[in-house]
Amino acid sequence: MIGKDKIISTLNDVIKKSSADQTEAVYIGGENALTRYANSIIHQNVSETNSKIYFRAISGKKIGVASTNSFEREDLKRALDNATEIAKNQRENPDFVSLPSKESYKKIETHFKQTASFSPAQRAEKVKKIFENASKYNLSVAGSFSTSESEIAVFNSLGVACYQPLTSSFINIVVMSDNSSGYSDFLTRDVTKIDVESLADVAIQKCLDSKNPKGLEPGEYDVILEPVAVANLIEWLNYIGFGSKPFQEKTSFLADRIGQKIVSDSVTMYDDGNDEKAIAFPFDLEGVPKKRVVIIQNGVAKGVVYDSLSANKDKVKSTGHALTPDFTEGAIALNLFIDAGESSKEKMIEKTERGLLVTRFHYINGYLDTRNALFTGMTRDGTFLIENGKIKHGIKNLRFTESMLKAFSNVIELSKDRKIVNSWWEDIGCIVCPSIFIKNFKFTGKTEF
Amino acid sequence: MEDKIKATMDYLRKKKVDYGDIRHQKKLIESIKVKNRNVEAISRSEDQGFGIRVVVSGAWGFAASSITTEAEMKRVANRAIQIAKASATTKKENVVLSEEEALVDQYLSFCQIDPFTVSLDKKVELLLNATQILLKSDKIKVAEGSMDFYKTEKIFCSTEGAYITQAVLESGAGIFATAVEKSEVQRRSYPNSHRGDFATRGYEFIEEMKLLENAEKVREEAIQLLSADPCPDITTTIVISGSQMALQVHESCGHPTELDRVLGTEISLAGGSFLTLDKLNKLEYGSDKVSITADATIPGGLGTFGYDDEGVKAQRVFLVKDGLFAGYLTSRETAKVLNQKSNGTMRADGWNRIPLIRMTNINLEPGEWDLDDLIADTKEGIFMDMNKSWSIDDKRLNFQFGTEIAWEIKDGKLGKVYKNPVYTGMTPEFWNSCDAVCNKKFWRVWGVPNCGKGEPMQIMHVAHGASPTRFRNIKVGVSK
Repeated sequence: MIGKDKIISTLNDVIKKSSADQTEAVYIGGENALTRYANSIIHQNVSETNSKIYFRAISGKKIGVASTNSFEREDLKRALDNATEIAKNQRENPDFVSLPSKESYKKIETHFKQTASFSPAQRAEKVKKIFENASKYNLSVAGSFSTSESEIAVFNSLGVACYQPLTSSFINIVVMSDNSSGYSDFLTRDVTKIDVESLADVAIQKCLDSKNPKGLEPGEYDVILEPVAVANLIEWLNYIGFGSKPFQEKTSFLADRIGQKIVSDSVTMYDDGNDEKAIAFPFDLEGVPKKRVVIIQNGVAKGVVYDSLSANKDKVKSTGHALTPDFTEGAIALNLFIDAGESSKEKMIEKTERGLLVTRFHYINGYLDTRNALFTGMTRDGTFLIENGKIKHGIKNLRFTESMLKAFSNVIELSKDRKIVNSWWEDIGCIVCPSIFIKNFKFTGKTEF
Repeated sequence: MEDKIKATMDYLRKKKVDYGDIRHQKKLIESIKVKNRNVEAISRSEDQGFGIRVVVSGAWGFAASSITTEAEMKRVANRAIQIAKASATTKKENVVLSEEEALVDQYLSFCQIDPFTVSLDKKVELLLNATQILLKSDKIKVAEGSMDFYKTEKIFCSTEGAYITQAVLESGAGIFATAVEKSEVQRRSYPNSHRGDFATRGYEFIEEMKLLENAEKVREEAIQLLSADPCPDITTTIVISGSQMALQVHESCGHPTELDRVLGTEISLAGGSFLTLDKLNKLEYGSDKVSITADATIPGGLGTFGYDDEGVKAQRVFLVKDGLFAGYLTSRETAKVLNQKSNGTMRADGWNRIPLIRMTNINLEPGEWDLDDLIADTKEGIFMDMNKSWSIDDKRLNFQFGTEIAWEIKDGKLGKVYKNPVYTGMTPEFWNSCDAVCNKKFWRVWGVPNCGKGEPMQIMHVAHGASPTRFRNIKVGVSK
């Protein structure tokens, strides 16, 4: 850890000498460690000390971006010079108005000492417990357990000076027999909250319950999607639809539908980077404080998230959802929540005459028809047939091909309990999901296991 | 740097590690993205650091840092040893590596025009002019062009005595048109989707693409798709273009032949493989028309290099020969399981990542057909071109791939355009239904710059040689 004072003072010194009209620096750095296991042994065990410093130089309406992974002053200066030279040789960007000005952001506790100091030996100790518990049933274990400590700072020539130290830890467990598997995971900023034995129990039980799976013909089934499966779908909905860019380019399923009812009344989705119940992070990578953005309220399309450039285009204010200066896919919702319902997974199972319980999905692709949010993907690590209110047996995995607008219009109920699920941006984001009961979910293919 | 690396290597030897290697890597990246008459982004990135991999007490440890002082190298070496000792607490057997010659050598990729010497203005101008052609219809709502260039310098040094330096240049570009009308959105790309085409070549590769000359066709096909019929839901003959065959080979042969995946080490993320050890030299993976090679020596291929990140020389091997499953992609550790030598496919996407088994240039070897003859020989079917969506199960059996565009084939001729084409199948059944592969004239290597694998995620540059290929009795149009 370099520390707030050194990062801010160094970036300030470098930016002070900038010849650009406006200059921004973003620092992301720290130490990430990950222990990976398979066949109940640790087979990869890694640690990385790294940083990345981005400079965005503005000349009129021209923007140049350059980065380095060295915090040495001469390297920082060279990166800034590169950004400035690019800006001078750029074309004007009509959507650019100004870099953001200073705003106050919420004070949030995102750094936990126990996570920062967690050692390879401690990670090994934890995963050995999982191996031991699984071996009692002759099951093998795969997965990964990561811990990280990092710092993020955003500094610009208009007075923005944001800094946040953070830690993060994620564990995932796949327990396997010769013909079945089970899954569990946990995402937290505080590693002491990870209860590996309980997590192992969940994955072990799923693996045992789905042993000797039976084949099932594709077709429409009522499904109970556990939170990880729901998050797998939301992750893609976010990518193709919740950001300003696909919205403005009309490829999003939300484009031209704001104010219209697009899914069931029971579905409300929003983004809230300040909600400390999840993986909160209080500002975006332009230094704009995170705003709560309702995307779908009681089934009605409400809005999308913006960074400063895309906000200027729609003449609205940034909602604080910019990523790094070199990221060209625009604003992304990083802290998504689906409102809880009143039900529970157990009640949903009881109500199911004939349907499926899905633990998680694999290899979803949401590019088939983005305006209709048509996705395909496979089930994995614990898919079960439910009949007459009871889980009957595990089934071999199925492929779904389904419009998410149709699926979320067919929501029967949501659970009261919600889970924090990791997303593509696990250090600064997550998806908080209930279990969801959906009728007539379309499966179009099957596989051999 | 050489002195610091050799001093750290001496330190590892003093620490009596079973095995150790250091990789130092320096990378320069330039990216340009143009959209709707504007230059959306130009960025340059510099990245350097080193990673130390050790076997201690029979288990692996790896640590890496972007700070390249001698003191930091020593700290990181100790960290790697500490990590290996933690790994060893769960080991069942010691890590054993295949015997390989410790080589001292250097490798330079071939390039006529260093893209970093070409002015930004020239590159931007080409992309703006190409997208200008795309925008000649108001139905094109998004016209994009992009270029990416990479310059990578690597040093590999091992306790066994290897010392290898490599310098590789990579270039890539593409143009993309998105047509929108009411609730219909359609996209065409050139020369390929997913950021275009890439090669270990210089700016001459971009010039040879002829982006300007192809822009009009891209625009018109995107517009044509807006009013096209949807791909029918039928079981039929399909002819798949070379670029889509690249994706087919990637997902259904490249990944399942990675021996680390087969041995279970990717289970938690991307899954395993149906190509289990008992199937080697026994499984009829495809028809006798199907031969697939891994060839890291093809000049200009995006998966071409001199040595992998274990210091093993680049090779050409068969994965499938005349339909028979004949080999895996291997590393020094996994090759030992088969009592073989490594075929040199261990690569890391940077200094800060541990090497994994990665595809090189994985190629469906050319057949004998001219494309015109193949279409003429097809009474009824669908011709599918360029990847749009991709999904495959976690043992690489059930797949469903979508393409940007398709054409009906009727009585040996291409007919009307279909939108949203999708085909699906089970891998061995699918490859066994292959009855014709086009010849060398239609065969080319497609660069894929976005192959994901591993935790932490690593994005690798790989490639696939392929030509248009025909398959019988394939289920298409399951997207309704």
